[in-house]
Amino acid sequence: MCDPVTMMASVVASGNRDGQSLVLKGVDPETCMIVFKNHWAQVVKILEKHDPLRSSSALSSLSVINLTAGSSGSSRFGPIPGDEANAVQNYVEHMLFLLMEEESGQAGAMGPILEFVVMENVMERLFVWSLRREFTDDMKLEQLKMYEMLVGQARQPLLHHKPILRPLMMLLSSCSSTTAPAVEAELVLLLNQLCYVLAKDPSILELFFHTSEDQGATNFLIFSLLIPFIHREGTVGQQARDALLLIMSLSAENERVAKHIAENTFFCPVLATGLSGLYSSLPTKLEVPNEEWHCLHKEDWLQMPSLIQFLNSLEFCNAVIQVAHPDIRDQLVSYIYNGFLVPVLAPALHKVTLEEVMTTTAYLDLFLRSVTEPALLQTFLSFILLHRHENVHILDTLVSRINTPFQLGIVSLALFRTLIGLYCEDVMLQLVLRYLIPCNHMMLSQRRVVRERDCYSASAAKILALTPSCCSPDRSPPPLRQLDSILFSKGGETPDNSGNTEEEMSFSEENDGSGNSCTIGSEIYLDVSYLHYLYDARLSISSCIRACRVWSAPYDGEDPPPEKYQPGVLEEPGLTSRHPQIALKKAQHPFASQAGSCVLSGTDPLPVNQLELEWDDSYDACPVQTADAPAESRPPPPPPAEPPKHIQEMRRTARMLVKGSYIEENDFQDDVMVYDLIAKKDSGNVERTSKPSSSQTEETKPGSADIPLKNGLNLTLPGSAIVDNSRNSLDAKANGQTDCNANLQNTTAVALGDDLLAQYEELIRTLDPEAGGKQVKADREVKKPITPVEVVEEDEMDFASFSAETPEPEKLHSPFGTINRFRSGSATKNHSLPFTGPFISVLLSRLENMLSNSLHVNLLLTGILAQLAAYPQPLLRSFLLNTNLVFQPTVRSLYQVLAIVKNQIEELAASKKDFTELITAAQHCLMAREPSFIETDKSGGSSGSNHHEGGRILKNSPPPKPKAISLERTEVFATILFTEFLKELAAIAQEHSILSYIPMEE
Amino acid sequence: MNLNPFWSMSTNTSRKPRSDNEEQSGHGEQRASPARMPFGRKQLPPIPKNAAPITKPSPMGTPIQSANGTHASYGPFYLEYSLLAEFTLVIKQKLPGIYVQPSYKSALMWFGVIFIRHGLYQDGVFKFTVYIPDNYPDGECPKLVFDIPVFHPLVDPVSGELDVRRAFTKWRRNHNHIWQVLMYARTVFYKINTTDPLNPEAAVLYEKDVQLFKSKVVDSVKLCNSHLFDQPKIDDPYAISFSPWNPAVHEEAKDRMFTYKRRPEDHHKASQASGLSWVKPGSTQPFSKEDNPPQS
Repeated sequence: MCDPVTMMASVVASGNRDGQSLVLKGVDPETCMIVFKNHWAQVVKILEKHDPLRSSSALSSLSVINLTAGSSGSSRFGPIPGDEANAVQNYVEHMLFLLMEEESGQAGAMGPILEFVVMENVMERLFVWSLRREFTDDMKLEQLKMYEMLVGQARQPLLHHKPILRPLMMLLSSCSSTTAPAVEAELVLLLNQLCYVLAKDPSILELFFHTSEDQGATNFLIFSLLIPFIHREGTVGQQARDALLLIMSLSAENERVAKHIAENTFFCPVLATGLSGLYSSLPTKLEVPNEEWHCLHKEDWLQMPSLIQFLNSLEFCNAVIQVAHPDIRDQLVSYIYNGFLVPVLAPALHKVTLEEVMTTTAYLDLFLRSVTEPALLQTFLSFILLHRHENVHILDTLVSRINTPFQLGIVSLALFRTLIGLYCEDVMLQLVLRYLIPCNHMMLSQRRVVRERDCYSASAAKILALTPSCCSPDRSPPPLRQLDSILFSKGGETPDNSGNTEEEMSFSEENDGSGNSCTIGSEIYLDVSYLHYLYDARLSISSCIRACRVWSAPYDGEDPPPEKYQPGVLEEPGLTSRHPQIALKKAQHPFASQAGSCVLSGTDPLPVNQLELEWDDSYDACPVQTADAPAESRPPPPPPAEPPKHIQEMRRTARMLVKGSYIEENDFQDDVMVYDLIAKKDSGNVERTSKPSSSQTEETKPGSADIPLKNGLNLTLPGSAIVDNSRNSLDAKANGQTDCNANLQNTTAVALGDDLLAQYEELIRTLDPEAGGKQVKADREVKKPITPVEVVEEDEMDFASFSAETPEPEKLHSPFGTINRFRSGSATKNHSLPFTGPFISVLLSRLENMLSNSLHVNLLLTGILAQLAAYPQPLLRSFLLNTNLVFQPTVRSLYQVLAIVKNQIEELAASKKDFTELITAAQHCLMAREPSFIETDKSGGSSGSNHHEGGRILKNSPPPKPKAISLERTEVFATILFTEFLKELAAIAQEHSILSYIPMEE
Repeated sequence: MNLNPFWSMSTNTSRKPRSDNEEQSGHGEQRASPARMPFGRKQLPPIPKNAAPITKPSPMGTPIQSANGTHASYGPFYLEYSLLAEFTLVIKQKLPGIYVQPSYKSALMWFGVIFIRHGLYQDGVFKFTVYIPDNYPDGECPKLVFDIPVFHPLVDPVSGELDVRRAFTKWRRNHNHIWQVLMYARTVFYKINTTDPLNPEAAVLYEKDVQLFKSKVVDSVKLCNSHLFDQPKIDDPYAISFSPWNPAVHEEAKDRMFTYKRRPEDHHKASQASGLSWVKPGSTQPFSKEDNPPQS
């Protein structure tokens, strides 16, 4: 009878869990029962021997349970001899093993051992025993392992039984304040397993609630215990997040769990503030590997542990939003908006130096590419589209940055490539469509043309006719081109008839006697690459059409009706109320609405125009705004409002994060105390005489008491205007443009209502003093408020001069005319003067400078335009591709800009003798790059767009390159790219003429 | 392999509309054409094999100035897409009783069949071929030739050609389309016109002796229908050919035709996958939808 037991002992001791079932197979259950009872009898002997109640000491009742290491309890009754403790330990291991291996009885009844365990309250007595001794980390570890084995491997459901569940909960609560890594690891592992059990058998969920509910607290201890590990690195963090996700999917089914998590826990704020915390530890400046670099690929961020950690948490948020109950989802999304995007990301996007701003932009792009859940994407997008930072829409700021000549410009382009690749109606509406809906950009008579179809590829022909003569396929084809030619011929006369003789033969005799012939053209060599463009165009248009089926309107010049959305009507309405309804919807989050209304009511609205000018044209014109107005001219700020409850909560949460060990102060502590009480009460019941003692509460309390209640937060920061007037701190790179850039930064912050944000930021900064220090300092600089009055007047006068009847001569319609200066969006935005929006303007103005753009800028630029052109909405399609559409004189079209570039190229080619030779060299160079491009594209797996730059370059492998050419020769590369871009656009135009008119099936 | 990658483009492009067509004309079309599957699947070849031998210096013999006056090199592409556009227009028209599809070898040649459902030519099933001039759309009007010359005043009794030109004296781009030719071909069987006939005998009989005309028409319809199962006149993988009802071959297609109606809803759901929109219909405000995140 001893044999199986000794064997078990060794198995347990060695931690070997494989093959255990084999060991006990065939062992008579009755025998096992007898062994179990024997062991228990031995254990009880020892237990009772050291039971203070049995030792009949008068003082004993004072502290039955003594958790505090080294406190009076143990000394009073004397230490338990080591051999006895070991003996109990050994017996217990054997017993647990027997319990674990026991099959459940008939019809799901308890097996005899389990029944015994329940009747005798074995587990609880063992727990109390371990409390009796010094409850060290080792002891906790031992107990946790014990339960972990039971929970993970028992063959019958154990957790349904209170005598097992209760001591488990007591154990968990006693581990809540642990800091020893080994204990944490084991705790999380056990919690993780419990969650798996819960997920499999949700009926247990009720019991988890009930065990505490009996005592008057509603709590979900397992969940609360997991929260501190949400943002942990490594296995522990991963296990905790996996476990939490299991609970999240439970919440989708279980209203009660959802309600509890949303209302009684800090799960969502912890997640959101965690994002903020992790964000603050990201590098504020990225090392840019080379000039081409424009976005964070996987191989980039894999080198950055802090970014990996952030993405892990973001991914976790994404997953939670995917599986959790809508209440939790909405709450989390709202916290991310109000706790991360607005207070952290928005200021980060407006930092001082170009590098910092560029880095933030690259992060934002990466985040957008990482998020997949529509609800979370919506949060990010509404932040970009609707949020105003210092009274300027984030979107406007981002658009204006496309025009910066630095890396920031490229990174911004990449961000917009990502945005456009989302096929999101809201994005396209704000970027482009809302400017096209009124149809003011075209002559009134042209409206019907919007939906007209280009049956005969007239637009494609016109676009291709812009091909510079030096690149014409007809004239002096470069040696490469011949490889790319195919024979387009009369059927049977082709020299090559291998493989399909039959068809060619039949084809050659297709004359049916009536003299009808049906061949197209004669022998012509065609550019094969054009077929690739057609094929790519087909793919991108059809996927775009498919994606846009969820859109609310066709945008065809009739729906939405142009009359209804004239400018001014379309412009601003609802902007104030549109502020994330995610936040406003929830009464429990008054923060957003409060902050919003503060801004509106508290200050004179700042001149939008001045602010929106940020960075537009900043490098060729520097209208430096003076910021010297007296501070008194500002209206006095209303007294700061009492911080909303929401913010207080956030603050508290963040504080706890700072502390490193998150504990849900009240609820959670209540819970722990409840379990203490249970423990005491129950042990009292068992032992008959125990009295409540405060030892355990004392044990756990220090943790909470340590949390600093004051963290240097100043709730009454005066709401004053802050001008981020940091023109001196500009980076060396921007030297030449210092004042311009300073001007860019010379924006006015409406700090009213921001004080809450400021405090919050402060808090976040304290998480990472090193990273935050600089920013704090920057903000602390004395700032001169600027008066808006003067600027307003200036702008108004400006507007008056922009009357529709007197368009400025330089802006007149002239495809081959002088370079029109790009007009910033804001200047015209509020006028009925036809305008296709800042985004289109800025793209076209960059395109116009194609010859001086670097290759990568041009690749991105043409890629974005091609992607825009693939959208099937007639308004957009006709604007970009219909060369027959007559626009208003002030409106610049893509075709006009292309014509300008063509002219520039022709002039260049005429003035440089070796231009053709250079072009050939550059073509070779580009084709040599091709393979690497494709690889990057694959491994990066980056952008949401299906556009790959490699696609635009001829696909045939080239002969060895004849001559090296430096990438500095931007005009040469641009010429090639321009020619290819024409093909790409023409192919898109042609495919539109087919695809957009076929009722799509499948 | 396909000789000319160009055609494979058109094949590919017109596949969807055609399959629609097939299902409408379930009992008629030859489905088991062995050439069908391989051709239908064809995509753009990465690099045409047959292009390799043709690396001799290009005999830029006749640089065709296309009608659009642009690069000769792209002329064929414009023509091809113009014809594809025409074809999609035909599909859109849903002409009653008329089915066409471009030939495998040339987009300039379309095979068709017309079913006459009432009138003098009731039960007639006439196969025809449309020939489009290679300077389309700037040339003459396309020709329409019946495989078997139907007895009709406007159909040439020898060649089978329908007098289309009387309806389209001048072919005008943007105004005239091939579907109109097909429509015209249908109309002539319901509304008989005898002026300037290509078949004077038929015209005279119709005027003088309608009874005889009618019996001649009945004979002609019988003749046409008796040749229905003949091999197509032009050997082309996409030529329309008829075969007797064979459950093994046709039943499945018929079933698919009848279940077709239900499918759109199904993939309406599936198609929600990629795009995003939170714009309330009738609004132009972003995120105006009441219920935010549309859950998948």
